[in-house]
Amino acid sequence: MFFKRYGKFAGGIDLPEEKGGLLDNPISPVATGLQAAIKHGLETATPDRLLVPLAPCGGAPARPVASLGQRVKQGQKLAEAPDGQGVDVFAPLSGRVAGTGSAAVAGEEGFLACEAIELTELEGAVNIAEAEPVFDWQAADQAALLERLESGALATYRPPVQPLSMWMRRAREARCDTLVANVVEGQPYVTSDHRLLAEFGREVVEGLAMLGQAIGALRLILAVDVRRTDYYRGVIAPARDHNVSRIAIPYKYPAGADAILVKLLTRRQTPPGGGTMAVGVAVIGAAACFAAWRWVACRQAPTHRVVTVAGEGVPRAGNYWAPFGISCAALAGAPDGTVHGGPMTGLRCVSHSVVSPATDAVLRIVQGDCSAPSPCIRCGWCADHCPGRLNVAALNDCFELGLVEQAGGAGVMACVECGVCAYVCPARLPLSHRVRRLKKALAAISETSPV
Amino acid sequence: MTGPRATAQPDSTPSIVGGGGGAPFIHAPEGVRTIYLVIMGAACGPLVAGTVIFGWRSLVVTAVAVLTCAAVERMYYKITRTPALLGRSHAYLTGLLLALTLPAFAPWYVAMAAGAFAIIVGKAVFGGVGHFLWQPALVGRLAVAVIFPAWLQPVAWPLLAQNRLLVGDIHRCRAVDDYRQWRGRPAPAGADGFVITRPATVLAELTADPPGFSTLASASRDAARNKGPLLLELPPINDLLVGTTPGGIGETCAVVIVVAGVYLIYRGYVKWQLPVFFVLFAWATVAVAPIRLAGAGETTTVAWFPLAAEGLDVGFTYVNYHLLSSELLLAAFFLAAETTSRPVTAAGQTVFGAGCGVLAMLLKLYLQAPIPCYVAMLAMNTFTPTIDAIFSRRGRGRIPSRAA
Repeated sequence: MFFKRYGKFAGGIDLPEEKGGLLDNPISPVATGLQAAIKHGLETATPDRLLVPLAPCGGAPARPVASLGQRVKQGQKLAEAPDGQGVDVFAPLSGRVAGTGSAAVAGEEGFLACEAIELTELEGAVNIAEAEPVFDWQAADQAALLERLESGALATYRPPVQPLSMWMRRAREARCDTLVANVVEGQPYVTSDHRLLAEFGREVVEGLAMLGQAIGALRLILAVDVRRTDYYRGVIAPARDHNVSRIAIPYKYPAGADAILVKLLTRRQTPPGGGTMAVGVAVIGAAACFAAWRWVACRQAPTHRVVTVAGEGVPRAGNYWAPFGISCAALAGAPDGTVHGGPMTGLRCVSHSVVSPATDAVLRIVQGDCSAPSPCIRCGWCADHCPGRLNVAALNDCFELGLVEQAGGAGVMACVECGVCAYVCPARLPLSHRVRRLKKALAAISETSPV
Repeated sequence: MTGPRATAQPDSTPSIVGGGGGAPFIHAPEGVRTIYLVIMGAACGPLVAGTVIFGWRSLVVTAVAVLTCAAVERMYYKITRTPALLGRSHAYLTGLLLALTLPAFAPWYVAMAAGAFAIIVGKAVFGGVGHFLWQPALVGRLAVAVIFPAWLQPVAWPLLAQNRLLVGDIHRCRAVDDYRQWRGRPAPAGADGFVITRPATVLAELTADPPGFSTLASASRDAARNKGPLLLELPPINDLLVGTTPGGIGETCAVVIVVAGVYLIYRGYVKWQLPVFFVLFAWATVAVAPIRLAGAGETTTVAWFPLAAEGLDVGFTYVNYHLLSSELLLAAFFLAAETTSRPVTAAGQTVFGAGCGVLAMLLKLYLQAPIPCYVAMLAMNTFTPTIDAIFSRRGRGRIPSRAA
């Protein structure tokens, strides 16, 4: 086979796929403003306004370099990252700087308020295919490649989002010998990474090879869903050229959780509470590989990402090459019920939620069963399906009784935050949220009182 | 997901403006009510079997128990002014399971008292669904076994005759001398059935002093002695499998209980470890538990290993009689599977089931407890938190395979 198949893991669950036609839906541009819609022959338009966040990775906001009222071109630098922290911000579309505002970007625990530059009078829509390689990165020397990758423009494009330069530094410090491109994408509805790999397989693989070279990884792995290998035939030749192993992962959710994926691929057990870099494996997504390729080979600023728009009653379901700073609600075309990210781990959109590097999907999910949580009946389904092999019912007791240290003894840090426990819970308890809060409390305790 | 934490930024920590804690936004379709309704549906199997075998009075007892449970639960929440949890589906289920453990000839006030005890003592005082320690239906059953021993543990038990199934009145039964097997035996004139000895009562003589039998199955070695082989005194094992033997409404029909229980396992509402280890350890206990047999004269011999005492075939039959003549199967497949009062993990349930099986058979053999399996289960329920604590999982990945 063209994709090598890999093994199983305990726990997990087969989720309904819900991807439907979006698996075959090509990535299309988003028209902002009516003029752009007419020009590109698109039927519907989203508001003529972008709130480009200045701190898409959290932390300190970038310093604006564009002045108020200035007309900026697509790809022009809007703001500069302070002292190597955060990332530079570029204009996603040509337009006029109308002022500053406040946007909400997705963080780990929820949306973070963040300063933003407001762009109006937008012109044009960017097509994802409009990028020609102008720089032969394979012929270039290592230093030039590194300099370009670390120049503070790229982010990791998957939660927790951080600047790519920081990620690369940590990967080098951890002496990662393996780099995994995680394109498993097991959550329902989401198809953005899938479409990216299906349409731009060569570019993603080249980006992966670039990053692998930059962090000094000896082994490159492309992990995909076993059900979708037929889409990825275009990947095979470039993967062979760049010595990337192609591995198809079983589709049981959460095979795409980093700790589980790394265990499947390398048999290395990520320590509870630590990242996969602790066992010498760096994990990156398709979006970051693609952005790295565009940035290095095409000199294109990272201003867009592929976003899946799907869900109940969404007028324009599809995969979009969406500019950063577009409002999530506007992109979904629905005022309420918008969810940022996959349905298992995502966040409920707040007002001013915008597309940021962390956004792989904007969904509209109206929860029909809004029944309040009832007491745990100890059915044990959460424990049966936990991929971290935790007794989640016992952890729920710890949460209700406030026994944080006891939860630590029960191994709460092994949680991979996949959301399966809350998905199966017949009492509709927010188990994954509670376990996450226990983890956070435990981390806070161990920080403040070292034993 | 377990990726490195976003590196803390020194100068400004952005404030969270909400949106967290909502995930996952999709749910599996099965809710708590679904679980209870499916278990109730499965429990209707033994109920139907009991209605056929013990007549229409089974339905009366069941209706009284179920309605009492629902009414008491409703009243309790009204009086204490606490919000009712999960509607009344669990009260219905408790009432139904309770009815399955009661004999069909129990009068209405016994069923009513059992239902009230089950809900108030077994469930409500602990805080309702999800909080109780003991299986509520069994709390009610144990309470009435103590309060009304004459009603629930008579010396001889009624059983409908083959030609009076379903329509017969179990209160109209008459004692017969020569009852041997149920099949092909019509009801005595003017009655709907017989009043006979339970197989469990016969088996209890094995550990009585003086012992009731000289052998398990082989012909009596000493004709002078008045004591014969055990298996001659018992009905054919077919009667026990089909359930045409005296007992509770849902306790006797082994075939239906196992089929309904396997359905629950198939649906994932019961882990197979619990009933399997329950039955397996009960079986092993009976196989090795020593029994008394009458020897020559007035002496008593002890069969230390009954399974092999008179050949394995006799031993197997003897052990199977023990399992089928008690309420073991109903306890293993339905009552032990009550989610709140059993351990959570598979390992814990294995130990819990094994403990129930051993304890139930020891109680049955040596203490002649009236409802040994239920008492054993209640005893093991007490240890559920302990078992849960011992068999708590520690999660994946204790030791990193490579230092950072």
